[in-house]
Amino acid sequence: MQHRVDTGLMLAVVSVLAASLVNLYGVSSAVGSGLLMRQAIWIVIGLALLWACSFVRATFWEKAAPKIYALCLIALVAVLIFGQVRGGTRGWFVLGPISLQPSEFARLGTMLMVAAFLGKREEDRLDFTAFLIVSAIVAVPVALVLLEPDLGVALTFGPALVIGWWLGGLRPRVWVVVALLGVITAGVAWTTLLKPYQKERVLTVLDHDRDPYGAGYQVRQSRIAVGSGGLTGEGIGRGSQSVLRFLPAQHTDFAFAAWAEGTGFIGGSALLIAFGVILFRLGMLTERTEQRFDLSFAAVVFAWLAFQVIVNLGMVLGWLPTTGVTLPLFSYGGSSVISTCATLGIVQSIWRHRFVNQ
Amino acid sequence: MAGPPASVMRIRTDPVLFRHRSRVVIILVFGVLGLLHLKLAQLQVIQGDAWSQLAENNRLRRIPVPAPRGRIFDRQGVVLADNAPAWQLLVFPDEAEDLEQTVAFLTDQGIIEGRDLRQKFAARRIGTMAPLVAAENLSWEHVARVRAHQSDFPELSIVGGFRRSYPWAKTTAHVVGYLRRLMEGETGGHDDFQPDQLIGAIGIENLGEDRLRGVNGERRVVVSAVGRQLGMVEEDGAIPGRDLAVTIDTRIQLAAVEALGDNAGAVVVLDVNTGAVRALYSSPSFDPNVFSSRLSPEQWSEISDDPQHPLQNRCFQGTYPPGSTIKPFLTLAGLEEDLIDPQWSVYCRGSITLYGHTFRCWRRGGHGTVAMRRALEVSCDVYFYLLGQKLGIERMASWLERFGFGRPTALGPAQEASGLIGTPEWSRRVRGTPWYAGESVSVSIGQGPVLVTAIQMARAFAMLANGGYLVQPHLIPPATPAQSEFIPLDPSGLKVVVAGLEQVVSGSEGTARSLKELPVAGKTGTAQVARLPDEGSNVERPHHLQHHAWFVGWGPIDDPEFAVAVLVEHGGGGGSVAAPAAATVFRAALQSGPGALEAGPLDFGEGG
Repeated sequence: MQHRVDTGLMLAVVSVLAASLVNLYGVSSAVGSGLLMRQAIWIVIGLALLWACSFVRATFWEKAAPKIYALCLIALVAVLIFGQVRGGTRGWFVLGPISLQPSEFARLGTMLMVAAFLGKREEDRLDFTAFLIVSAIVAVPVALVLLEPDLGVALTFGPALVIGWWLGGLRPRVWVVVALLGVITAGVAWTTLLKPYQKERVLTVLDHDRDPYGAGYQVRQSRIAVGSGGLTGEGIGRGSQSVLRFLPAQHTDFAFAAWAEGTGFIGGSALLIAFGVILFRLGMLTERTEQRFDLSFAAVVFAWLAFQVIVNLGMVLGWLPTTGVTLPLFSYGGSSVISTCATLGIVQSIWRHRFVNQ
Repeated sequence: MAGPPASVMRIRTDPVLFRHRSRVVIILVFGVLGLLHLKLAQLQVIQGDAWSQLAENNRLRRIPVPAPRGRIFDRQGVVLADNAPAWQLLVFPDEAEDLEQTVAFLTDQGIIEGRDLRQKFAARRIGTMAPLVAAENLSWEHVARVRAHQSDFPELSIVGGFRRSYPWAKTTAHVVGYLRRLMEGETGGHDDFQPDQLIGAIGIENLGEDRLRGVNGERRVVVSAVGRQLGMVEEDGAIPGRDLAVTIDTRIQLAAVEALGDNAGAVVVLDVNTGAVRALYSSPSFDPNVFSSRLSPEQWSEISDDPQHPLQNRCFQGTYPPGSTIKPFLTLAGLEEDLIDPQWSVYCRGSITLYGHTFRCWRRGGHGTVAMRRALEVSCDVYFYLLGQKLGIERMASWLERFGFGRPTALGPAQEASGLIGTPEWSRRVRGTPWYAGESVSVSIGQGPVLVTAIQMARAFAMLANGGYLVQPHLIPPATPAQSEFIPLDPSGLKVVVAGLEQVVSGSEGTARSLKELPVAGKTGTAQVARLPDEGSNVERPHHLQHHAWFVGWGPIDDPEFAVAVLVEHGGGGGSVAAPAAATVFRAALQSGPGALEAGPLDFGEGG
């Protein structure tokens, strides 16, 4: 028995993608108009991929997960050797006009692998070996991504790890240990690993008026942009913060700020609701499916998308430091659109085959 | 019941526990999303007006950070071009409340003409946040006046910049050159050029452009509504241009200035072995520093309307009849063609009739019997009339071409003149008239349709001094030694010619015997500008019809180092005017010694 695709999820995804194109059009005076057509092409490819993935039987993904995961690890190693450097990060394969970021796809492979591992488990609790395995599944690709180094993308692997622990059933005392380790790691990172500019970014979150023209500049300009949008916005492509280029990275990290300036609280809310619908439909899948793999994958994807939405909006609204985490489906970037569409395609495939038993 | 198979067991694994756990995550996430939505409402709906206010007061300025151009040094390390600090006045037209008021203020203060400023406003691109450079090289007084009214005109800003300065002014004007503003639509072949940018117009400033030019930086600053700088957002630092050491020797250059005095003319000094230009002076000269500021119409007309054309570089843009300085080269041609030998002699009666026309020797009384060496020493015209007749115009032209005449020396500047070697073919093609046999006779003493530049002459005499190498003249030391053209000449023939040219200075009858005390060789030339009907009378010729005076030679004789070409426009006799001038240059050159900065293009650190 097969079902139709989840229409609610599809409508929300297409809405966000359409809004992203409108936003790119609006900021084209600041970032150039060439990006619009490129992104439109990526979106068409992404939607086609989503459609294709949704026809594949759900069980295929569970069985193929280890192979896909292995392929992703190979790609991550290859990009460290053959990849092209952009902005200090060796993370791109470039073939003529096309450039692909394997780390975006490796996240999908990692999420599949975590779900497949959880799906095979019959126990309700994670023993120590299982804990190590789940941790390693995520840690290996994260380490490779950090070697590029791309902190922003590496962070987006985090939800898969936490969901792996949480659904798998990590014992409370291990959570305490993990939390303690986390605090210690953060402390060590603060004193040794983090660069001064990164620390400044964190400090400006705590004190918005700190260094408003240095480390706090981006977030300050972002808040000015969002705030001056008001209830109804200044109009697409009319926001002064965006047009006069006060707003940094307005097609990528701060795309939401440009959108909020142009369309105001109404447009901002609409976009937020569209993301809410996507997350809600993912939540519905966890309610409807009877398979542990299906449920785990839906939960991991849910956590990942929620993480990116929250971290990105938290940064745009001034609650979190700037980390380079983009808004999925909305920020400019081909690899991100393609990998997100592929991920949602697998979600649709699970939705369609959710009652099929062999 | 035996129980279901294992595979079914796995599929049937109870998802309820997982579902409970995932619900916790889902509820948590929607809680946070709700908070974010509240935050969005707070920023946009509740505080919206306050943030809008901030957006309006946000003023980002892009302030250019000019890169200093590389300095130019002579081979001894003497500064030929430097940068002096200067104040620039920037206008940010987007920020002005009423541009007309700003224009009126600047006009009243005498800082800039209103018309010029309006033209600039009209020409600029909209929405770039970049300022206009309204005025450069402001005086302290102007700076003070703008500063005093800063709060009335927040769109004005005064920033530091550079003004090019040439400490030797007129002495090195043509060779070092000056800067000019890039014209509308012109990129000069460089993508990174910005409008209004200065580039080298002529001379070394032009030749060394790529090395000397720095990359301008830009600073992005946030300013308050009254133009006060609040903070810097971003800075792309300026990359200074690199310094350049050139082949010029300022001491020889100074001697050239002294040698020409008030006369118009040219002095070129070459290293006979490498082609390095040691001096290149064109008189009258001009002060290149006037081009560093905006030229006033008076200053411009003073330079451009000067009947002497000081902007013309007489060293390689002016072409002149060579007169007798061509004779050594025709002698070599005759020897190489086996038409004459050193013993071949003629009898000079003071004139000779060829093709039914009488051609005079410069010496009325004649020279009597002259062979090669003495022909050069006394510069006997009759000898060369007959030699020219033997050679014929085609062979003369072909040999002159081989010795580097009639084509640019590729010193570098694109505006170099080729000169002219007249031939029957040229006559038909360019003049549209047939070649007259008498013209060949004129060419054989360097008159008629034959024109050369001073630098061609200097190089040709360097070739005599170095044994047949036509060197590549250059001002910027090349990374690898420049290739010379080798002309395979019979060494014994060359030796006779050289001996003849030594006699010009040291012989008792030599035309440049006034230089006797110097260890040099060379040839005088007195090039007729026009033939007067009352030829030979003692009437003083008007200045513009006076002969051009040449002396070209080299020294020291034993181990030649320098070739010197001196041309004095309308100076009179080569022996009486040009030779003494050349003596001044030779004295300086022979004392100059090796350069302190010999080893190619040196860096003096990164500019500044």
